[in-house]
Amino acid sequence: MTTAARIVPVRNRAEDATQENQLALIARRFLRHRLATASLILILFVFVASLFAPVITVFPRDAIDISSANRPAPPGVVDSQGRVHILGIDQLGRDLFTRVLYAARVSLSIAFAVVLVSETFGALVGAVAGYYGGGIDMIISRIIEFMLTIPTLPILLIISAILIKSDTVLPLPGFVTKTLSAVMLAPEREVQKVVVLILILIVFGWMGAARLMRGMALSESKKDYVEALRSVGASDVRIIFRHIIPNGLAPILVNASLNLGGVIVLASALSFLGLGVQDPTPTWGNILALSQSYMSQHPWMPLVPGVPLVIVSIGFNFVGDGLRDALDPRLKR
Amino acid sequence: MTNYLIRRLFQMALVVFLAALFTYFLFNIAPGGPLTGLAQQQRRLNRDDLARLRAGYELDLYWPVRFSRWLIGEPRGPITIAGKPIFANVAVGCYLTRDAGFTKNTDGTLTPVAAGCDQYEYLSDIQKYHPLIKTSNGILRLDFGLSSVILRDRPVLELLKSRIGPTLLLMGLATLLSLIIAVPIGIYSAVRQYSRFDYFFTTISFIGSAMPVFFFGLLLILGLSVFPAELQSTVPWIPRLPPGFAVAVRDYDVASWLQNVSAGSLLDRLLHLVMPVAVLTFAYMAGWSRFVRSSMLEVMRQDYVRTARAKGLFERVVIVKHALRNALIPFVTIVVLQLPGIFAGAILTETVFAWPGMGRLYFDALNRSDWPVALSVIFIEAVLTVFATLLGDILYTVVDPRIKYS
Repeated sequence: MTTAARIVPVRNRAEDATQENQLALIARRFLRHRLATASLILILFVFVASLFAPVITVFPRDAIDISSANRPAPPGVVDSQGRVHILGIDQLGRDLFTRVLYAARVSLSIAFAVVLVSETFGALVGAVAGYYGGGIDMIISRIIEFMLTIPTLPILLIISAILIKSDTVLPLPGFVTKTLSAVMLAPEREVQKVVVLILILIVFGWMGAARLMRGMALSESKKDYVEALRSVGASDVRIIFRHIIPNGLAPILVNASLNLGGVIVLASALSFLGLGVQDPTPTWGNILALSQSYMSQHPWMPLVPGVPLVIVSIGFNFVGDGLRDALDPRLKR
Repeated sequence: MTNYLIRRLFQMALVVFLAALFTYFLFNIAPGGPLTGLAQQQRRLNRDDLARLRAGYELDLYWPVRFSRWLIGEPRGPITIAGKPIFANVAVGCYLTRDAGFTKNTDGTLTPVAAGCDQYEYLSDIQKYHPLIKTSNGILRLDFGLSSVILRDRPVLELLKSRIGPTLLLMGLATLLSLIIAVPIGIYSAVRQYSRFDYFFTTISFIGSAMPVFFFGLLLILGLSVFPAELQSTVPWIPRLPPGFAVAVRDYDVASWLQNVSAGSLLDRLLHLVMPVAVLTFAYMAGWSRFVRSSMLEVMRQDYVRTARAKGLFERVVIVKHALRNALIPFVTIVVLQLPGIFAGAILTETVFAWPGMGRLYFDALNRSDWPVALSVIFIEAVLTVFATLLGDILYTVVDPRIKYS
């Protein structure tokens, strides 16, 4: 008894050490990718800034500053109460710095929600297809292929034109809208439309993860250890969740990071075309769309929402690239 | 191969039918449409007027019937077999609808009335309410119907005809340019992997594929049109490009060395093409050069490339004849799948540059609830996508004889 009690903690410590080494190894490989590291820092900066948005700026999100005579006004303009508008004010007199910060909250939460759900769903579907094979795989693969041939943007435009412009209210569970409204600091009425957009983007976003996981599951399920697991009586659910999915997680993580950038751009594109999140809720896309008509007199205006959009979009792509290098077990050292 | 083609053609027909049905259904449940707000605008319209107006847009028919008339132009009336009409009394629509409400009884109480139909329309009635002048022959017989908002009551075909030219020009040019640029860059990056050139172009193409096209378009307008316009008073030689549309309305100056570009001339059209083509080329080139690079790298690791080198062939021959040919096989499908896009246009780019093409037409149609136009564009795109997929698969067998379909 005593010996056993002595051995267990020792082995645990050893396991912890290898675990730490693994994470440290991944972190070290990631940090070697300089562009990825720089991108990660920039994204974290935007993220933290948007997290503390109500603390950083003195203006409420939709507050209209009627004291300033000329609207829009360039960055650094000082209003009659002596408050500085760091990034200027828009055509209605709202502080653009504030709106861009809140827009970061909205855009980032849309992206994280969409990617989290669609990658999880895609991974599950792909694992099931690859593990069971046969008829299930045939059906799922055909569905994936069909969804991939659909030109996304035209169909997205139709669906959002129908769902977002109509007044029909989806029966959503209260906690979803409440959580999102707390995260985005937006009233629940506005969150309704955002949830619709998130759902639409999920429907068109799960195929990449499903294809990756299907491929992994297909090759894993033929390996000996799966056969061994089956022979000791492990259930299919256990094999899929404890063995197949963890083994295929690395490419899913990379795909998720690349997708974060893609979803932000797609959501912004819809907002830009006026068919995404509508105006009182700020997003980088709809601020950009509004600035387009004032561009010739106020060339700074599109840059205000555009620069963070580009930084985050390109940033997530570089982070994904860095993750791919860091997680690739074939690159030892 | 013949069996395969026949099977594929059936599958394609099914896919196009399902896609058409799905989009038609979506537009059917969409809010808006030609009669939105009509009852509020014109109080004097009575129920019969409204019913007639509804019939004018075929809104009295049930949507599967309307869909069938939109797709193949049938049914146009009772189906007669051997002189006898059959299914003549099948209800195909509702001519006079009844809204939910209340009727007042004589003693002042209200009786609720459910929404329903006061006068059904039967198959035999179709010719009465929908005379042949207004009926469409069906989109499968290349009759795209009438536009309901953008060009009110004019054929959609007119709109399509006026928009297809600019889109073909823009997309064709961008596709061609990006092919010419992307393939050599991809090859060179793969051959000199991890060189400075490779790092530079990998980074560029990374940025290109992550860059939102609409913001890149706005940046170009800022850099090549808005800022030069402000600078030209002090530095007159800076060229200023036209920021939108396909042709200018009146003559304009580009720079001190290029004055009086006449509207509608070849030079004018070329100047308008520069920015949208640049945006599209950058986006396509980024993705394609990365694809060619990784595909080349894959092939260069193969044994037959080593064999070719071991035979003492010139490096150029190894790369062009042995590696490149195999590397381009998967690339062919990517490029062929791009073909429908050449006709359908690029929605975002055309919107940013106010380019009068198909993509912008589609966007306008959605924004202004002109469903017949939007449906036509989607239908054309669906058909082209299906054919492009088939073409890609067939080309695959041509470039790679190892693949056989049966």
